[in-house]
Amino acid sequence: MLQKADYNAAFFVAAALGLFFIGGLLTTVVPPLIDSSWSKPFENSDPANGPVGKLRQLNEQELQGRAIYVREGCWYCHTQQVRTILADTKRYGWRGVDAPISTPDEFVYDSPHMFGTKRTGPDLARVGGKYNDQWHRAHFRNPADLVPGSIMPPFPWIANNEAEFKAMVAYLQTLGRAKDWRPDNDYEK
Amino acid sequence: MQNESTIAAAEIPVSESAKRTEMIHEDTTAKLFLLSSVTYFFIVGIIALLIAAKFVMPSFLGTIPQLTYGRLRPLHVNGMLFGWLLACDMALMYYVVPRLCGVKLWSEKLGIATGVLWNVIILSAVVSFLMGWNQGWEYAELPLILDVGVVLAWVMFGANVFMTIANRKYQAMYVTLWYAMGTILWTAFVYLTGNFATLFTTGVNQANLNWMYVHNAVGLIFTPVGLAIAYYFIPKASNTPLYSHKLSMIGFWSLAFVYVWTGAHHMLHGPISQWLQTITIVFSVMLLIPVWAAVYNFFATMKGQWHQLRDNVSLKFLMSGVVFYLLTCFQGPMHSLHVVNAIVSKTDWIPGHAHMAVLGAFSFFAIAGTYYALPRLFNTELYSDALANWSFWLLLIGGLGFFVTLWLGGFWQGWQWNNPAIPFIDTVVALQPVWAVRLGSGFLMFGGIVAFGYNVLATVLGAKGSGVEANPAEVAA
Repeated sequence: MLQKADYNAAFFVAAALGLFFIGGLLTTVVPPLIDSSWSKPFENSDPANGPVGKLRQLNEQELQGRAIYVREGCWYCHTQQVRTILADTKRYGWRGVDAPISTPDEFVYDSPHMFGTKRTGPDLARVGGKYNDQWHRAHFRNPADLVPGSIMPPFPWIANNEAEFKAMVAYLQTLGRAKDWRPDNDYEK
Repeated sequence: MQNESTIAAAEIPVSESAKRTEMIHEDTTAKLFLLSSVTYFFIVGIIALLIAAKFVMPSFLGTIPQLTYGRLRPLHVNGMLFGWLLACDMALMYYVVPRLCGVKLWSEKLGIATGVLWNVIILSAVVSFLMGWNQGWEYAELPLILDVGVVLAWVMFGANVFMTIANRKYQAMYVTLWYAMGTILWTAFVYLTGNFATLFTTGVNQANLNWMYVHNAVGLIFTPVGLAIAYYFIPKASNTPLYSHKLSMIGFWSLAFVYVWTGAHHMLHGPISQWLQTITIVFSVMLLIPVWAAVYNFFATMKGQWHQLRDNVSLKFLMSGVVFYLLTCFQGPMHSLHVVNAIVSKTDWIPGHAHMAVLGAFSFFAIAGTYYALPRLFNTELYSDALANWSFWLLLIGGLGFFVTLWLGGFWQGWQWNNPAIPFIDTVVALQPVWAVRLGSGFLMFGGIVAFGYNVLATVLGAKGSGVEANPAEVAA
């Protein structure tokens, strides 16, 4: 049947686009219609149903911080997803508490999404609340000072710019906090 | 009917060479795209070395914001994909399509305008990335205004190719023409999805669209245009008709159907619906069908002709590209299996895999096409076959060093990550030797790029015969 496409360009175009659109529509337009967790923000107040908490939108300062995160290309080396792999939940846990697996409803306000594809540095999905301002300032000045062997470059122009530094840290502290997964272990406590 | 079309279509690339002399092609557009793409190949190759060096010496160029890894990486990726590879592929389409249709390119003026616009986009992209003007989506980092420029350039390119095909003298369309048309149609929608539809979505929904684009940038842009080139230049360079028209049909139409389903495999084990992960795994494995159909066709075409590889640089690049294509498209489906994905995903294995696809397979096809088309475009002979051989061996050995070390290192890295008792920083330190070998391989590959670029330049400037490398046999002829 498709041999007609050898001679008839119009038939060819219709066939090539038709086959493409079957999979194209079924895998892009349909999934968000079927799966409500893609668009419904995380909210849970019943401890019997896993971690409690509520996803909120970023404020102006946190949004500014995310813009710096995008500008400096942090997402080329840091992913933001705790995967359905046991080692991920252990490695990115904190003080004996395992990190909860990332779920779609934790990311509904994210644009651009920052899931990432490469872990040259550690995952940051649950980094919020782990380290205080002082740690972050020293780390942005020169990561290898705090973590010998680190190949993350220094970012003095963030550490030394008060507004940018505060915005950046404010953003990082929001990561993974929708799920209140280790209430007594934040740096603030 | 079927036999007739099989023979007619399969023989086009060979028999058409006899008519080449009758038809004078202007080829200004092809030349413009070809020369600018080779220039970007060289420039972006330097960027590649800089970022590879940063893994070994993290403080190298480190205190200048514009030269940090996070700004140079998108420049490297986009520069290689769009500045070098896609532009070179377009050049070869501007060369091939009119020849397969037996007519002149529909509009050289439109083609030249497309080439100028393309260069404006690439140069603006360089400035954007260094300044950190980055939209935050992989492969879709370009600021919105430049995305609009890309769409415009693509429509101009598509109009030229489709109008040339509409005016064709030969009724039967050879497989290269299908792939050229398929590339143009699919790319349009894939690009719009990744660069515009994403603007109206958030979170996982956006990521799903982003990865539909990222995956199909390779699967429905570089793969079909790369195969268009391979299907044309393998029979041409070996002067042998294609083995099977029917097999090329199976490959083409299964690719058209299967590829688009697989974008979500970039989020396996991630926060995305399990049922979508299952679908994407099934279709990822089905990718073996179009790949093996094409590869078998190429190998069968070369049956009894392998001796030609000895002194035919284009064929060397083409057939090693086919082997890399086979390997990279075996890895891909395997990565989508949960057990394998749990080890290699997010590790340094992945750049090893991605470079085998983009450099090992598709850039090798593009380089082969360039070596074949360049002397014909400029009505001269290649400056130096010896230099061309050097470019092949340097790229092959450097490429293999790069791919294999990153696979081994990435696999090892994945095993370490899966043991939470090993601190993350230890897994970074452990990879230092791997990154050092990668940098060394990078220098070899860059040597290959320099040899290729110089050969192109010298051929264009008509330097043939002025150097010591001139081949006596060719001088006598």
